[in-house]
Amino acid sequence: MDREQSIRAYVQAAGALPQRLRQEALMLPREDQCRAEEFRLRAGRPMSVVLPEGEQVLGRAPVHFRELEQLVEIASRASLHAVLDQVRRGYLTMAGGHRVGLCGTVSLREGEIHSLSRYSSADVRIARQVKGAADPVRDALCPGGRLTSTLILAPPGMGKTTLLRDLIRQVSDGVGCRPLRVSLADERGEVAALYGGVPQLEVGGRTDVVEGCPKAQGLMLLLRAMNPQVLAADEITAPEDVAALRTAAGCGVTLLATAHGESRADLERRSLYRPLLEEHIVQRLVRIRGTGGQRIYTVEELGA
Amino acid sequence: MMRLVGAALVAAGTAWLGFRAAAALGCRVRALEDMAQGLVLLEQELELDGPPLPELMERLARSGRGPAQALFRDCRQALDRLEEEPFPQAWHRLVRARDELGRAGQETLMPLGDTLGRCGCEDQRKAAACVRLRLAELARQAEEERRRQSKVYQVLGLSGGAFLVILLL
Repeated sequence: MDREQSIRAYVQAAGALPQRLRQEALMLPREDQCRAEEFRLRAGRPMSVVLPEGEQVLGRAPVHFRELEQLVEIASRASLHAVLDQVRRGYLTMAGGHRVGLCGTVSLREGEIHSLSRYSSADVRIARQVKGAADPVRDALCPGGRLTSTLILAPPGMGKTTLLRDLIRQVSDGVGCRPLRVSLADERGEVAALYGGVPQLEVGGRTDVVEGCPKAQGLMLLLRAMNPQVLAADEITAPEDVAALRTAAGCGVTLLATAHGESRADLERRSLYRPLLEEHIVQRLVRIRGTGGQRIYTVEELGA
Repeated sequence: MMRLVGAALVAAGTAWLGFRAAAALGCRVRALEDMAQGLVLLEQELELDGPPLPELMERLARSGRGPAQALFRDCRQALDRLEEEPFPQAWHRLVRARDELGRAGQETLMPLGDTLGRCGCEDQRKAAACVRLRLAELARQAEEERRRQSKVYQVLGLSGGAFLVILLL
C-alpha cells in the first residue's frame, strides 16, 4: 500500500469518530497518518493514536462516554440491530474494513453475552491491505502453477492474516498460478472484512466468504454449499477445526490455514496439529519471523 | 350594489374561515393516521429482515404517506450526518418540525428516536408498536373532536358572516 493509499485509509477510519475527535485525528501530520495503526479511545482520557513506536496522545480534552456511543452509532450507521452479533463479540466492521473494538458493561443472558453497553473504551483499527505480501512465497507454494495445501505458522502479530489474505487473493485471481475457486471461513471477519456483503479487503474474484460462523461449521458449510477448490481459514485453534480440515482434505480440497507457533517442532509437540503433519494433510509450512522490522519467510516442504 | 357585493364577500370570507378551521381538524386526523400507518410499515420491515436504518428509512419514505413519508425521508438524510448530529437528536428535531401531528402527536413520537437503531429488532418493533397504538388513540380522539367541532366551526363561520352582513346592510 503506497503512502497516499495509507493516508486515505487513515482518513476513512477517522470518519467513524465524532466530529471533535475526528478534527483531532486529522491534525496529525501526514507522515504519521500513513504509519498510524489504530485510534484508542478511553472514557475520561484524551484519544490517542497508535504508531509503530507506541501510543501518542491526540488533543487534550478527555473522551466523553457519549462520544463512544456516537462512535458506535457512526460505525454502525445507527443500525446496532444489523451488527448486534458482531457487537456481542466485542467489535464491529465498518466500510473500508476498519474495525471498531469495544469494551464496556456486558449483560449476560443464559450464560451468553447478550449485549455490550455503557462503553468504557474503544479502538479503531485501520485496515491496510498489503498487496504482494505473498510474492516471496507464492512460487514455492505453487509447484507446477497449482497451490498445494499450506499452513502458515507464526507468533501473534507477525502478519499471518496479511499473508493468508494475499495468498487467497493471488490464488483466486490466478496471479502467478492457476486460478482456483477459494472458499474462506472468516470467523472474526478479519481476512475479508465483509460489509454489506462485499469484502472490504481484496480476496480475489473467485472467493466466497462465510463470516461470523465458528470455523469448523463454516468450513463444512462451504464444503457442502460452494464446491471449493481451496478452503481457507485463519487461526486453527480447536480440535473441531482440525477435524473439518481433515474432512475437506479427504474430499480433495486444497487447504490454506494459519496457526500460532514458532516451528515445525513446535507443531509436532502439540497434539492438536500433529494429525495435519502425520497424515500429510498439509504439504507446505510457511514460517514467518521478524528481524529488524523485516519479515522473513521460510517455506518448508512436508512431503506428500 | 357595492354594499351588496361587499356584504357577500364578508359572508364568504367568514364562512371560508369556519370551513377552513373544520378542515384543519380533518387534516390532523389524517396526519395521525398516516403516521400510525407508517409505523405499521416500520414494524413489518423490522420483522421481515431488519435492514440497516438508512435502508429502512429509504423503504419507508417510498411507501409512506403524508407526515410519515416526510419524516422518514428527512431521517434518511440526517443519517448521512451522524458525526454532526446523533440520530436521537435528529429524530427529535425532525418530529418537532411536523406541525401537522400536533403537540400530543409529536410528544408521542419523540421517545422512538432513542430506540430506533439502538437495540435489537424485536425491542425496536415493540417500541414502535406502543407508539403506533398511542397515535391511533390520538387519531380516534382527533376524529371525535373533528365530528364535534367541525359543524360548530362551519356554523360559526356562516352565522358570523350573516351577522356581519346584517350589520353592514
